Amino acid sequence: MEITDNELTTPLSEKAQPTTESAAVSPAASELERLLTHEDVDRARDRWEVVRARRKGAAGSFGGVRLLWLLVGPGVLVFLGENDAPSMLSYAATGARFGIGFFLPFVILTFVMGFVVQEMTVRLGAVTHRGHAELIFDRFGRFWGLFAMGDLVLGNFLTLVTEFIGVRAGLGFFGIRPSIAVGVTLVIVLGAITTGRYWTWERITMGLAIFNALFVPAALLARPDWHLVGHAMLTWTPLPSGSHYEILVLILADIGATVTPWMLFFQQSAVVDKGLQPRDINAGRVDTALGTLLASTFAIATILATVPLFHHGINASDFQGAQFAEALEPWIGHLGASLFALGIFEAGIVAAIAISTSSAYAFGEVMHTGHSLNRPVRDAWPFYLTLIGSACAAAALVLIPNFPLEFVVLTVNVIAVLAMPPALAFLMLLVNDREVMGDYVNGFWGNLAGVTVTILLIIAGIGFGLATVFPKWLGG
Amino acid sequence: MDSEHVHLGGHQAGLERDPVIADAKQPDLEDPHVVLSLLESDQLVAAKRRTHFGPRRLSFGVRFLLWSLRVYVVVMMLLALLSVLRAAHLIR
Repeated sequence: MEITDNELTTPLSEKAQPTTESAAVSPAASELERLLTHEDVDRARDRWEVVRARRKGAAGSFGGVRLLWLLVGPGVLVFLGENDAPSMLSYAATGARFGIGFFLPFVILTFVMGFVVQEMTVRLGAVTHRGHAELIFDRFGRFWGLFAMGDLVLGNFLTLVTEFIGVRAGLGFFGIRPSIAVGVTLVIVLGAITTGRYWTWERITMGLAIFNALFVPAALLARPDWHLVGHAMLTWTPLPSGSHYEILVLILADIGATVTPWMLFFQQSAVVDKGLQPRDINAGRVDTALGTLLASTFAIATILATVPLFHHGINASDFQGAQFAEALEPWIGHLGASLFALGIFEAGIVAAIAISTSSAYAFGEVMHTGHSLNRPVRDAWPFYLTLIGSACAAAALVLIPNFPLEFVVLTVNVIAVLAMPPALAFLMLLVNDREVMGDYVNGFWGNLAGVTVTILLIIAGIGFGLATVFPKWLGG
Repeated sequence: MDSEHVHLGGHQAGLERDPVIADAKQPDLEDPHVVLSLLESDQLVAAKRRTHFGPRRLSFGVRFLLWSLRVYVVVMMLLALLSVLRAAHLIR
C-alpha cells in the first residue's frame, strides 16, 4: 500500500463541505485509495477499535465503558494540561491570601466557562476534521490568521517558560539542580512524541496528567474545615478583603488559569488527530466534562492545601513553587509538602507536553506541512522540530542565570485572559458558520453562553486596565 | 443535538455499516478499501490537502468586531507591560 503523500499533485482548489460520507463511497475513493498515508492507516486502526467497542456496547456488555475509554483524551488532557505550574501557583496564592471563601465557587465558575468554550472546539474538530489555526486561516484569511497566531505564539511561549520554572521549582524542593530538572522534562517530552502514534502519546500524557491528583492528599493533610468549604460554595462568602487591585489580579489570574487561547487550538487539533467524527461528539462532551471535573477538583484542592498559610498570616505574595512547599511543611508535614512540590513538577511536565504540541499543531496547519502525532518523524519533521524546538528554547531561558523569571510568572495568566476575547470571537464565528459546521452550528444557548463568557473576560480585562492606569482607585 | 441521527448530506451510509467491515472480526488495514471504510471522506490527508473551506465574506460588523478586539488586545498588552514594570520595581 502506498503510504506516502509525496505524489499529491492535485491543485488545492476544491471547496470543502461538511459531510459524514464514508471515504469508501466518495466519488474520489479510487484516487484516495492510491494516496493513503501512514497517518490515515493509524487513524483507521483507532477508528476500528471504536467501531468494535460500539458494537459491544450495543450488545449490552462493557463495550460502553470501553468506548468511553477509547474516546476520552483531548478533553481530559486540555484541562489537566491547563492545571499547569502557573495555574497551580495562582490557586496556591489564592488560598494563602484569602483562605476559604469567595474564590472556591469562583474557580468552579471559571471551569464552567472553560467547558462552554472547549465543547465548541470538540464540535469544530469532529465535524470539519481541521485544526483551529487552519480554519481561521481558511475562513478569515492570512491577515487575521497571523494576528491569531501572534497571540498564540506569544502566549504559548511565555506559558511554556513558566512550565519549566515550575518544573525547576518543584524539583528544587528535593535539592535537584535546575539543569537536571529541566533536562528530565525535555527527555519526557521527547519520549512521549517519538512513539509515532497519537494514541500512545495521548495515553502516556494522560498517565502523567493523573498525578495532578497529588494536590488532593496535600489538601487533606491541611485538614480543611469542610463546614466552611460548604458554606463558601453555597454563599460565595466571605468576600475577599484588602487591596482591590490585588483581588482583581488574582481574579484575572484564576480565569487565565482555566480559559486560555492554547486550549482552543490544542483540543480541536487533538480531536482531529484522534480521528473523532460527528457521531463521537457526545463522547467528546463527556471527555471535556470529565476533564473539567478532574481539573476543578484538583484546583480546589490546591487552594485548600495552602489555607494554613492564610490562617497563620504568612505573606505568600512573592512565593514560587518550592517556597510554597517549604512554607507549608510546618502545617502539612514533609509528606504534604513533598506532594505539593511533586504536583507542581507534574503540572509543569504535562503542560510542557500539551503546550508545545499545541504550537506544533498550529504551525503545521498554517504551513500545510504534516501535523499529526501519527506521522513518523521523517514524514513530519517540521512539526516535531517546532514541538521540540519550542520546548528547548523555553527550557534554555529558564537556565539563564539571573533571568527575570518572576516577570514571566507575573504576566503569563494575565496575558492569557487579555488575549482570549479575540480568540473567542474567532471561535464563535466559526462555530456559527453553517458552511463549515452544517447542522452542527451553535444553538441559542451555546451562543448565549459563549457571548457571556466573552463579555465577562472583556469586563475583567477592562477592570485590570483601569486598575493599572488608576491604581489608587482600587487601593493598588 | 443527537449526532447519532444527524447527517449532513451526501451518502447516508453509516461508516460502520460498510459491508467490508460490518462483520469483520479483525479488519485487514493493508487493504486500502478497509481504511477508507473506517474514515470519513474529508478525514483523509489527501482529501484535506485537496479541499479547503475557502475564505468567508467578512461583513462590516464582523470586521468592526475583529478590529475592535485587536485594538483591545494591543492596549491591554501595553497595560500588562506597564503593570509588570511596576511590579518589578516593587520587587526590587
